[in-house]
Amino acid sequence: MILEMNHIEKHFGDLEVLKDISFGVDSGEVVSIIGPSGSGKSTLLRCATFLETIDGGEIIYMGDKAAHMNDQGQAVYVSHQELRRFRSYYGLVFQQFNLFPHYSVLKNLTDAPIHVQHRDRSEAEETAMELLGKMGLADRADAYPYQLSGGQQQRVAIARALAMKPQILFFDEPTSALDPELTGEVLNVIRQLAEEKMTMVVVTHEMSFAKAVSNRVIFMDGGLIVEQGDPAEVFDHPKEDRTKQFLRVFER
Amino acid sequence: MTLSTMLHTMSAGMLRTCGIFILTLIGSLPLGMIVALLRKSRFALVRGIVRVYISIIRGTPLMLQLLVWYFGPFYLFNWNIGSWRFPALIIGFVVNYAAYFAEIYRGGIESIPVGQHEAAEVLGFTKTQTFMRIILPQVIKTILPSVTNEVITLVKDTSLAFTLAYQEVFSLSKQISASQSSFMPFLIAGIFYFIANYVVAFIMERIEKAMNYYK
Repeated sequence: MILEMNHIEKHFGDLEVLKDISFGVDSGEVVSIIGPSGSGKSTLLRCATFLETIDGGEIIYMGDKAAHMNDQGQAVYVSHQELRRFRSYYGLVFQQFNLFPHYSVLKNLTDAPIHVQHRDRSEAEETAMELLGKMGLADRADAYPYQLSGGQQQRVAIARALAMKPQILFFDEPTSALDPELTGEVLNVIRQLAEEKMTMVVVTHEMSFAKAVSNRVIFMDGGLIVEQGDPAEVFDHPKEDRTKQFLRVFER
Repeated sequence: MTLSTMLHTMSAGMLRTCGIFILTLIGSLPLGMIVALLRKSRFALVRGIVRVYISIIRGTPLMLQLLVWYFGPFYLFNWNIGSWRFPALIIGFVVNYAAYFAEIYRGGIESIPVGQHEAAEVLGFTKTQTFMRIILPQVIKTILPSVTNEVITLVKDTSLAFTLAYQEVFSLSKQISASQSSFMPFLIAGIFYFIANYVVAFIMERIEKAMNYYK
C-alpha cells in the first residue's frame, strides 16, 4: 500500500466534512474520486497532503504513520520535522496550477529538487527537461507561466510535481479551471502517466475520463464514501440511489 | 552674498539632507519588514504591541515625534542631550517610516494568493524558504509603486529636521533667506528637492521595469 487513510474525520466548526472515511491506494493504481460539490472530496485530498489537519483517524504512507489515533480517538501527527519527510512521498496538482510566476518553467521544476531534496543542479535540470519533453513543452523551458495557456500551465504543474519523484500523485480537479478545449491535453498527460503505472488519485468531474482511465472509482457524498469499485460497475450499474441520482445529472 | 557662495553654503545642507534620506531608508526598509512579520506573530501580545506602535506613529505628526525623541530623554531621565540631536533625528525618521513600510509590506504579503504558500508547502519548502524564495520576490514586485510613493514623501519630509534645528538644506535656506533678505535660497532648495525626487522616480521606474519579466 502506498497510502492508507483510516477512519478519517474532519470538521470545520460544527460542519462535519469527512465522516469516518477509509480507503487505501495500491502501487500503480489510479483512483478517481467523484461526487457533488461539497461532498468532501477535495477536503479529503487536502487532508492526505497535510494542507488540512484531520480531527480523527490515521494517515499511513508506505507503512509509515504520519498521523495515528490516540486513546480518545483523536488524530495525533508526527512532528513538523518528520512531516516534511512524508511530503517527499507525494505530489499534488492544484485546480489553479499555482505555478511560481517569478520563476521560468525550468526553475519551477528544479527549485524544490535542488533546495528541498538537495539534488545536484545538473541532474535536476536533466530530469526537468526530460519531463518537459514528455509533456510536449521542451521548447517552453525558458518561458514564464504567464506566457503559457492554461493547459500548458497545468502540464508544467504536473511536471513540477513529478520532478520530486513522488510515489503517488494527487490531482485536485485538474481541469476545472481550464477552457473546455484545453482539458484534453491535460487529461492525455494523466492518461499517459496511468499507462506508465504511476500511482494516482484524481478528484474530477470528468466522468468519461474517470471511467476510461481509473482502476477504481470512489463516489463521495455528504462526507461519506457512498460507493466504490470498478469504474464499469459504478458507472453502468450503480447500486446506491444517491450514485444513480448523481450520475443521471451528468448524462443529461 | 554671491550666488556661488550661497550655493556653496547650501551644498553642505544638501549633503545632510541626503544623509537623513539614506540613513532613514537603510534603517526603515528592513525594520519595516520585521514589524510586518511581528504583526503576524502567533503571540497576541506581540501583535498588540505592534498594532499600538503603528497606530501611534500614524496618528501623530512626525514633527511632534521628532521633538519627543530629541527632548524626551532630557525631560524623562534628565539626560544630557548635547550630542543627541542627529541620533534622535534618525531614530525618529526610521521608527516613523518603518511603520509605514510595515503596512505596505503587510498589504503586499496578504495579496499573494494562498495557493503559492500551499504549492511551496507541498513541495517541502520550509517556512523560511517559502518566504524568501517564493513569497518575498512577488511581494517586492507588487509593492514597488507604493514604496516609490513613500520614498518620494521621505525626500520632502527630511525638511522636518528643521524642528530640531538640524542644518539640512531647508533650515539653511530659511536662515540664509532671512539674513540676506533674498528669495534665492528657497528657489535653490525647491530645485534641489525637485531634482532629488526626479532621480528617485527615475531609479524606481528602472527597478519596476526590471521586474516586468513576469506578471
